[in-house]
Amino acid sequence: MILTPKILARLVAIVVLGVLLQLSFFSQVMVFHVSPDLLPVLVISLGLLGGTMSGAVTGFSVGLLLDCLLIEPLGGASLVLLATGYLAGLFRERFEIHSRLVPPLLCMGLTIFAELGFGAVELMLGADTAISGLVVRDVLIKGVYAFVLGWPIYLGLRRLLRPALVEEQALRRPRRPTVLGA
Amino acid sequence: MYRKQVRRRRAVLALLIVGSFVLLTVTYGSGSSGLQRGVSTIFSPVQSVLDGALKPARDLVNWFDQTFDARGRNSRLQTELQTARKQAVGASAALAENAQLRKLLSLDRSGAIPSGYEPVTGRVIARSPTVWFSDVTVDAGSDQGIQVNDPVVNGDGLVGKVSAVTGGSAQVTLIADHSSAVTAKVVPLAVQGVIRPNVGDPADLILDFIDSSKHVHKGQTVVTAGWRSEEIESRFPPNIPIGEITKASLVEQEAQQQVHVRPYADLRDLDLVQVLTGGSRE
Repeated sequence: MILTPKILARLVAIVVLGVLLQLSFFSQVMVFHVSPDLLPVLVISLGLLGGTMSGAVTGFSVGLLLDCLLIEPLGGASLVLLATGYLAGLFRERFEIHSRLVPPLLCMGLTIFAELGFGAVELMLGADTAISGLVVRDVLIKGVYAFVLGWPIYLGLRRLLRPALVEEQALRRPRRPTVLGA
Repeated sequence: MYRKQVRRRRAVLALLIVGSFVLLTVTYGSGSSGLQRGVSTIFSPVQSVLDGALKPARDLVNWFDQTFDARGRNSRLQTELQTARKQAVGASAALAENAQLRKLLSLDRSGAIPSGYEPVTGRVIARSPTVWFSDVTVDAGSDQGIQVNDPVVNGDGLVGKVSAVTGGSAQVTLIADHSSAVTAKVVPLAVQGVIRPNVGDPADLILDFIDSSKHVHKGQTVVTAGWRSEEIESRFPPNIPIGEITKASLVEQEAQQQVHVRPYADLRDLDLVQVLTGGSRE
């Protein structure tokens, strides 16, 4: 990803708006008793578009802002989301995205990874209570929501960050000269 | 050139990972940090505006979910209504007696909130997106007199307690969060235990550490115990409704029994809550 001040401003706006939307809207709506988690999808999409560093840095920033606004111990969400973004970026650097199904499928898989990561952080911080089997159902349904949200968010971000994407510039066709009167 | 780039990437990644662990170590268990207070102060007004603006859209999505739910609940509620009608007659008599006793004791109390507590109403403006943490942020904070550990209720019953506070917002850890533990008693038996969460299922709490010789039954009400010793007092005032027993299983090999409780407050769908400020803050 080619970072210019304009692109950086767009990225900051995407992160802030994404976190605010998650907390004010997505976390507070229930579809089949589970609320969608937009943030891993956002981080995965940015990782897929920009590579490992973009994924990791955005994941860290999203997690830090989330922990700040929820007044949680700082660092937990950052750790999980930076790993999620890094893995998405690694996929982009190692493999070609040939199919339209790749971004949503990756969003689904890595969202499940992120939710399990949040659980691991919680266990690391010392959870000593019973864990309901419903957690598995909720995590899987969040994965399905991520699949649904994955493609539109990936496309939207690609359009928004188009000037900064390396492949987009390489693939951009040279404009044919217009011949007047032909 | 390529190697230099790879080394730089690895350094940034290592820095981020180490940074996360350092932040986690420094801030875990220390309440709200200066950074969080600053960010929260900046974003609280934005969140409040966004929360209000998005409420119609949220209500629309939730309406679909609740409609599916309502179909299943209808038949169960019919049965519960019949039972409740019978109990209401007995409750009216008990209330009248209660009022007389209160007058006799000169207690100036109304409802479930004991005297000495000043309720501060707040609206939920954010909630944790993961299934593992059960906490919400409300748009009232230390400017309104809220302090850490203040109990939080809504119209149905106990919701949780304040775990961190900034000027204009407060984090409420719900009773369904893994870190929550509330001393509770079953009425009318006055059997005491500790309400613990069943992580991932906010509609199911576990009343633990109950003496197995005391038999509790499905349908009995669980309220806060509100214990008091010579020097310290519970953070939760007594007799705040928590929920209703849904399953009471007796494990033969154990001296304690585990009782499942359905909370009265819908912890998945909180909007307005009241923080009980004042009272005991030991």
